[in-house]
Amino acid sequence: MEKVIEVKNLFKLYRVGDSIVRALNGINLSIYAGEFCAIVGTSGSGKSTLLNMLAGLEKPTKGEVVINDEHMEKLKEDQLVSFRRDHIGFIFQSFHLIGTMNALENVALPLSFRGERKESRLKKADAMLDMVNLKKHKKHLPNQMSGGQQQRVGVARALVVEPEIIFADEPTGNLDSHTSKEVMELMQKVVREQNRTLVMVTHDNELAAYADRVFHIIDGEIVKIEENRTCREDKRNEKV
Amino acid sequence: MSLIDLLRMSSGNLKRRKLRTFLTVLGVVIGTASIVVMISLGLGMQQSMYQQIDESGGLTTIEVNGAGGYGGMYGGDQEAPEEYITDEVIEQFKLLEHIEYVTPVLEVSAIALKGNYEGYLNLQGLTHEALEAYGIPLKEGGRLPEENGASLEFVMGNMMLQNFYNKSGGGGYWETGELPDIDFSKDSLFLILDTDSYYMNQGNSGFGDMGGEGSSQPKTIAKKHVVKACGVVEGGIEEYNTHSYSTYCDIETLKTVLKKEFKGKVIPGQPTMENGKPYKYFIYNNARVKVDDLDSVESVSEQIRAMGFQTYSNAEFLETMQEQYFMIQAVLGGIGAVSLLVAAIGIANTMMMSIYERTKEIGVIKVLGCSLKNIKQMFLMEAGFIGLLGGLVGNVLSFMVSFVINKIAGSVAGAMGIASDISYIPPWLVLISLVFAIFVGMAAGYFPALRAMRLSPLAAIRNE
Repeated sequence: MEKVIEVKNLFKLYRVGDSIVRALNGINLSIYAGEFCAIVGTSGSGKSTLLNMLAGLEKPTKGEVVINDEHMEKLKEDQLVSFRRDHIGFIFQSFHLIGTMNALENVALPLSFRGERKESRLKKADAMLDMVNLKKHKKHLPNQMSGGQQQRVGVARALVVEPEIIFADEPTGNLDSHTSKEVMELMQKVVREQNRTLVMVTHDNELAAYADRVFHIIDGEIVKIEENRTCREDKRNEKV
Repeated sequence: MSLIDLLRMSSGNLKRRKLRTFLTVLGVVIGTASIVVMISLGLGMQQSMYQQIDESGGLTTIEVNGAGGYGGMYGGDQEAPEEYITDEVIEQFKLLEHIEYVTPVLEVSAIALKGNYEGYLNLQGLTHEALEAYGIPLKEGGRLPEENGASLEFVMGNMMLQNFYNKSGGGGYWETGELPDIDFSKDSLFLILDTDSYYMNQGNSGFGDMGGEGSSQPKTIAKKHVVKACGVVEGGIEEYNTHSYSTYCDIETLKTVLKKEFKGKVIPGQPTMENGKPYKYFIYNNARVKVDDLDSVESVSEQIRAMGFQTYSNAEFLETMQEQYFMIQAVLGGIGAVSLLVAAIGIANTMMMSIYERTKEIGVIKVLGCSLKNIKQMFLMEAGFIGLLGGLVGNVLSFMVSFVINKIAGSVAGAMGIASDISYIPPWLVLISLVFAIFVGMAAGYFPALRAMRLSPLAAIRNE
């Protein structure tokens, strides 16, 4: 299988007062195309730091992050921005929709950064909102929608740029368990149907179970990698 | 990101906080208006100076003062003139290069009578050529005095009527506010050139035999010439222009009349020889030399000065005045600029607040792939918008203020003899002030924009 993300010997050290905290302590991992991966750990385990590094939001202290054969640690900030613009979609915990824009405009926003014309980006955004089942809420502002609906707009916004990789940072952290389930299923569906790579960070083992592969991270080190795909497929086969 | 999207985003951000935007813009409005109005006052002054210069013969006229005249009132650094201006001198002037025309000016004091009214006139004799070149605006039906005509004819200034007063008391126009019942274009006047005799006989004889030949003996009744104005300067009694207080006549006619009346005697206003005898020829108070272009003014002036005369031209005056007006405008503009500076601080503050408020949003769009350049542009545009809006409204306000100033001050200025507006806003000032307002906005927004650009995208990821 094609490797989309490869992390080699990644370290991140923070200076807190006089002491040095090792947020990431020699991480090695590979993520393949079309995979739904989850990074699971308690707070302070370094899972968010890892995600930031994968998305090029933070510079590693040492080590390599290779995405699509591009070394993220070597890119400058404006190069990182344009890399994200072309290859990456992002889903935030607290949705982060632009308050003055309606659902449709929010979804179309990343396309405007690419310089796409208004009609074509609104058309694409419209299709995306249809896909996430928000047909009735296209003209609604974020504050007129429920959390679940907002996060579905967030998912649509991440998908509209047709990214190779989608990063999700605790995507259900602000949702109740019922809507969490809906959003997780939606994301799962997207990965299956559109064959996207999705990397999700969560502290919740149950949610991690939706992923194909789960990386357990404790104190900046990967301690366990779970393979879910095979057992799930087995289950499915059993049902059939 | 396309320009139109950038514009849409930044204007959207301004719309989001309407009151704050309004207040910031208001600062720029006041700043722009104060600069524009201040500079417009300086420009208005300059404008009226130009207008006065234009009316008094333009920039290419040199005034030459000879001995015996009342020269020396302008040229402080020039030596007192040594020579008299005579016909001979005028001919010499005409031989100089770059000369368009030369006219001697013969000034004679006279008294005009009409019924019960008496008025003092300062007759200016000029050549026909010069009178034509002056371009005096005349009321309909008027014409210039005939060249070398048989009798004296005048062009009367439109405000000359103010100089007439009622002999039997009641005062003149300035005391009573009532104009004498004289129509220059229709009524004939008695003109007395021998004012000394007139005053001596005043009260004794009153009216002498009109039109009669004056006797040659001194202390006789002054001769009264029946004269009529051939033209009256255009304009009402309060509408000032350079010709408003002048009485012009043809110099040749004036000379003939004077010679005839003061045969063998000293003509009033003319200098005498050491033994008290009059000269055989006329000595002019001053002369006006018109040169063909501005560059020759200096060289011609120099040559005339070398001949022993004092010269004065508007061009010399203009240079020093221009420097002064530039200073005045700079000072006025500087005063106005202080309020724009305050407004600029306001813009910077607003932009800073807006960036703090939108830290997360900026982080999000950065994560979503909005380039650093676009973020900077977005905030610069926002600040520029504030400047543009403020500049536009500020200019509208300036025009209103300028209109009010001119309205209020116009009547005062008219009485003071300033014909043009006090506040004048030329199109280039509007344009420059607009560009300046936008520039100030963007300059004030530059550092906040840089700050926005450098905000870490991590701020968006951090969960509250």
